[in-house]
Amino acid sequence: MMPANAVDADSRLDRRNAAHVLRRAAPMLRPYRRQMWIALGCVVLSTGAILAGPLLVRYGIDSGIAEGRTDLLNWAVVAYVVVSAIGYLASRSQVLAVSLVGEGFLRDLRRRVFDHLLRLSMPFYDREKAGVIVSRMTSDVDSLQELVQMGLLQLMASMLLIVGSLVLLAVVSPVLLLVCLVPVPAVVWASRKFQRDSNVAYLDVRDDIGRTLSSLQEGVSGVRVVQAYGRSEHQVARFREHNDRLYRSHMRSVFVQAWYLPVIEGASLLTTALVVGIGGGMVLNGSLTVGTLAFFVLTLSNLFEPIQQLSQLFNTVQSSGAALHKLFGLLDTEPDLEEPEHPVDLPRSGELVVDDVGFSYDGSVPVLVDVDLRLAPGERLALVGPTGAGKSTLAKLMARQYDPTAGSVSFGGVDLRDASSAELRRRITVVPQEGYLFAGTIRDNVRIGRPEATDAEVDAALESLGLLGRFRSLSEGLDTQVRERGSRLSAGERQLVSLARAALADPAVLVLDEATSSLDPGTEVLVEDALEKLVEGRTVVVIAHRLSTAERADRVGVVADGRLAELGTHEELVALGGRYAALYENWTAGRR
Amino acid sequence: MVAGLVWTAAKVAVPRLVGEAIDDGVAVADRSAVVRYAWMIAGVGLVAAVFTGLRRYLAFREARWIEADLRLELFTHLQRLHVGFHDRNQTGQLMSRANTDLQQIQNVVVLVPLTISNLATVAAVVVLLVSIDPLLTVLALGSLPAMNVLTKRFSTNLHRPLMAVQEESAELATVVEETVSGIRAVKGFGAEADRSTRLAVEADDIYRESMASAQVRATYQPALEVLPSLGLIAVLGYGGHQVVNGDLALGSLVAFNAYVVLLVWPLRMLGWVVAMAQRAAASAQRVHEVLDTTPLIVDPDVPERLPESGGEVRFDDVTFAYRSNGPLVLDHLDLVIPAGQSVAIVGETASGKSTIARLLSRLYDVDGGALSLDGHDIRHLELAELRHAVGMVFEDTFLFSDTIAANIAFADPHAPHDVIVGAARSAGAHDFIEALPAGYDTLIGERGYSLSGGQRQRIAIARAILADPRVLVLDDATSAVDPSKEHEIREALSGVMGGRTTVVIAHRPATIALAERVVLVGDGKVVADGTHEDLLATEPRYRSVLAAWARAEEDGDADRGGVDGDRNVGGVDEDVDGVAGYGGAGDGIDDVEGIEGALR
Repeated sequence: MMPANAVDADSRLDRRNAAHVLRRAAPMLRPYRRQMWIALGCVVLSTGAILAGPLLVRYGIDSGIAEGRTDLLNWAVVAYVVVSAIGYLASRSQVLAVSLVGEGFLRDLRRRVFDHLLRLSMPFYDREKAGVIVSRMTSDVDSLQELVQMGLLQLMASMLLIVGSLVLLAVVSPVLLLVCLVPVPAVVWASRKFQRDSNVAYLDVRDDIGRTLSSLQEGVSGVRVVQAYGRSEHQVARFREHNDRLYRSHMRSVFVQAWYLPVIEGASLLTTALVVGIGGGMVLNGSLTVGTLAFFVLTLSNLFEPIQQLSQLFNTVQSSGAALHKLFGLLDTEPDLEEPEHPVDLPRSGELVVDDVGFSYDGSVPVLVDVDLRLAPGERLALVGPTGAGKSTLAKLMARQYDPTAGSVSFGGVDLRDASSAELRRRITVVPQEGYLFAGTIRDNVRIGRPEATDAEVDAALESLGLLGRFRSLSEGLDTQVRERGSRLSAGERQLVSLARAALADPAVLVLDEATSSLDPGTEVLVEDALEKLVEGRTVVVIAHRLSTAERADRVGVVADGRLAELGTHEELVALGGRYAALYENWTAGRR
Repeated sequence: MVAGLVWTAAKVAVPRLVGEAIDDGVAVADRSAVVRYAWMIAGVGLVAAVFTGLRRYLAFREARWIEADLRLELFTHLQRLHVGFHDRNQTGQLMSRANTDLQQIQNVVVLVPLTISNLATVAAVVVLLVSIDPLLTVLALGSLPAMNVLTKRFSTNLHRPLMAVQEESAELATVVEETVSGIRAVKGFGAEADRSTRLAVEADDIYRESMASAQVRATYQPALEVLPSLGLIAVLGYGGHQVVNGDLALGSLVAFNAYVVLLVWPLRMLGWVVAMAQRAAASAQRVHEVLDTTPLIVDPDVPERLPESGGEVRFDDVTFAYRSNGPLVLDHLDLVIPAGQSVAIVGETASGKSTIARLLSRLYDVDGGALSLDGHDIRHLELAELRHAVGMVFEDTFLFSDTIAANIAFADPHAPHDVIVGAARSAGAHDFIEALPAGYDTLIGERGYSLSGGQRQRIAIARAILADPRVLVLDDATSAVDPSKEHEIREALSGVMGGRTTVVIAHRPATIALAERVVLVGDGKVVADGTHEDLLATEPRYRSVLAAWARAEEDGDADRGGVDGDRNVGGVDEDVDGVAGYGGAGDGIDDVEGIEGALR
């Protein structure tokens, strides 16, 4: 149960967007052409069956009963049975066919959107809020699912039924149809107003549900603070406000309904009255048969019932359309990093060269300026500097999570932009600050480093860091399920698995973001040991948060104000007496 | 209800009037009768229309009112329930009581008045038709009860696959969620293909379950649609022959047809009601269980009053366990803190030190012994008075989605601005708050600005300072604060602590040194008691506890501690384990200000 989503401004769908959505959806539906034709055929058949009923009643009355021809009456009855049977079968298959198309489309859409998300590069994820990205795949697709399961068929059938009824009425008696059309302007006006009002009310309700649930969640998860401060009453008052607002929104939405339904119902019965009054007169004049009159009365319910149903579907259709528009918008987002057309392989090892690199996130405020740096194979560089000075950005550029806006980054003489992303990950691996695990076994999680690795290779990777014994000793060994986000393991153990991933990937260059939070006393040592083994023989760039890490590195780079302000060995920089030296002195003093 | 019955009468009258218009008007060529009936239909139609809206509005008003009322009652009750209850129940579950379950109940409540008028409609129609032609009534309506049964079965059978779809959707959401929040790991290791496969599996599962639900709909829906036709066919066949034989008026035949159509919806709805009522009953049961739980920690019948000032805290032979029969967290603990003294409580993880803090503001009651404040057993005090007297800062800071000012002024929403600023200054929070886009009016929380762990803790400290309690409890309250800032807070805190009973749970020597006295706890007991220097000199256990913590934070960077790391290791720290979900607020400890701060 998540707090409901805030209503985005783009929860409405205008005509232009609707056209765009339809244009984009069409190619995705192409594989389901056959099913769609079947579905359409079935809907036509079953609608036809519904429309044929009153026609047969009319035939039975006029040709059979009125003329005393029981044989014709019997024919009408038999025909009605047959038509009903066809209608039954058609509507059975239409449910299945529409579901096959709709659910298939949704399955494809889910996969496509997700695969697209995976193709998008880090800048996208740094820009967008995680919650919004997730909601594309959850609430947006879910509102489409609702349409597919509840409304799509009804939508098609209702529209066909209205059109079909009108056509039939016109064929049978154009004059009487004109009579039926008298209340149409009122119905059209009411329906348009209803669409507008109910959409507003619907969005209000959704918004207020979200607010109420947030307030509820806050009250429940913050209950300890609330009680510790004796503020329960205050909290209840806050909740009451949201709860009352939700009630009022609900009532406004009910009011819109309660106001609209009578108009449709009234129009329907008024039309019946007109048909009886005027049609009755026409029967007396001989210009209309009794059967036709009965046919009109029966068919009127085929006309007004679907109008009412369509009005109920309106909000679902509207929000599904808006959701689809957002999804296609996402699919249209191009990855910030372009894949090269003719990818070049990276060498097994080589120099990592940052050549005159400049970078800006937004194109105007420079984050890095004129950075030059050469790392020999196997060299370890620690980057230090204040938050926001650009050291993380520099590390990201060196792993091509971002592209520099000026200059270039190359490995073994190959510009990183010329290598495919798969090739890049094989040579340059980024180990994030915290060991992030996915639901699955420990083995699955290690294998993420190189999906095609055998079990023996996974074991070997763990062994190379001296960790195999530790994880084997768990009750289910490497097959232990770590649960969502690895919650079954401690933070330190998660970090160990993350390091094993990197060992399995066996890259030439490692980019490490050092953890800022310390681990429990026991595992801290293990992580340090494993890390020491992992970096052996590799080129390493570490974003250092601890000076002891910098002290151990071959060279230290101080990034400040968007520049590589100091670069050299620890001793050199201490001797230099600059920023690093000041920092170091401060730190050693603090250590006592 | 009355509105429903008027609606029933009007709805039932219309087909009858149509039938009579044909029989008494058209058939006998009485033009004025036709017009008269047409007017009557129009009039009755108007009544039916108005009451359709009215009955709907009234039914929903009642149902929504009950829903809102129950939700408020549930929330109020949850706020009163003891913390032990919240430890055992996950937030998500309680949320679904107040959301999904109330929805289910509301669904049925709204149908009650509608169902009554629907039943009345069915009864009226049957009586009317029987009076015209009993046999034809049986033929026309004979198949309709089946509709009722089918609808109920439909709804019941559909429930299972729909639940399965929901479950699979939740699993897919989990994959998406963990991929997006772990995108750094995905991109860093190139795990895109693996993630893609996982999602494909979930998408296929949803597809499978959705098609299962489509199967159910394909079985029942068409049958429900075709059933009324059987009635219409019977009317046309048997009724037609009756008319030819002169035993039935043509208008009655038309009326029969109209009645069959009229009954379709009421009968379908009756089926839905039965199925939904079963689900709602289960929901009501679950809601009732929560409402029926008695709050264990409540005001005494005859409360005692605290003296004007004081602050003496006394633990007298206190035992406590989070679960009955669970491991003892405090084991006959004795501890006296004189008014105005500051005490640091030190111990390993799971030594029971946080529990001492939680018992003080009576979030839990002791199992044995007594805990008293200024000579009064805290169970004999009004909760409001006790909690006003004891200010808590938790290790995992929970802030509300509100402005920073409102969060600091939580204890006293009417506190003037300069008091709020004063409290923020004392907590070392003023400077960073001023630097925020909207200063003290910056919205924080779920939809607002996200603060670092250290910033959150400083706001939590300010919140406690503003409450101005006689006993201040700081439970690892500076663990996420960057050491280079902590000394500022330390200075401020020592001012706040002056003359106030203060209990500090900490493991940084510098923080411990703030306190006049140090109590080392282990296995739920006081192991050693004295000044920091005394214990360092005389207690090997004290030295080893401090050394273990120091190793964990080796480099003087982040003292964000063991508790966070240990939280997931089941059972290692029963303080934390006992209050499962305690830290769920997700306070990202990302106060990366170690050397960076110093470099600025």
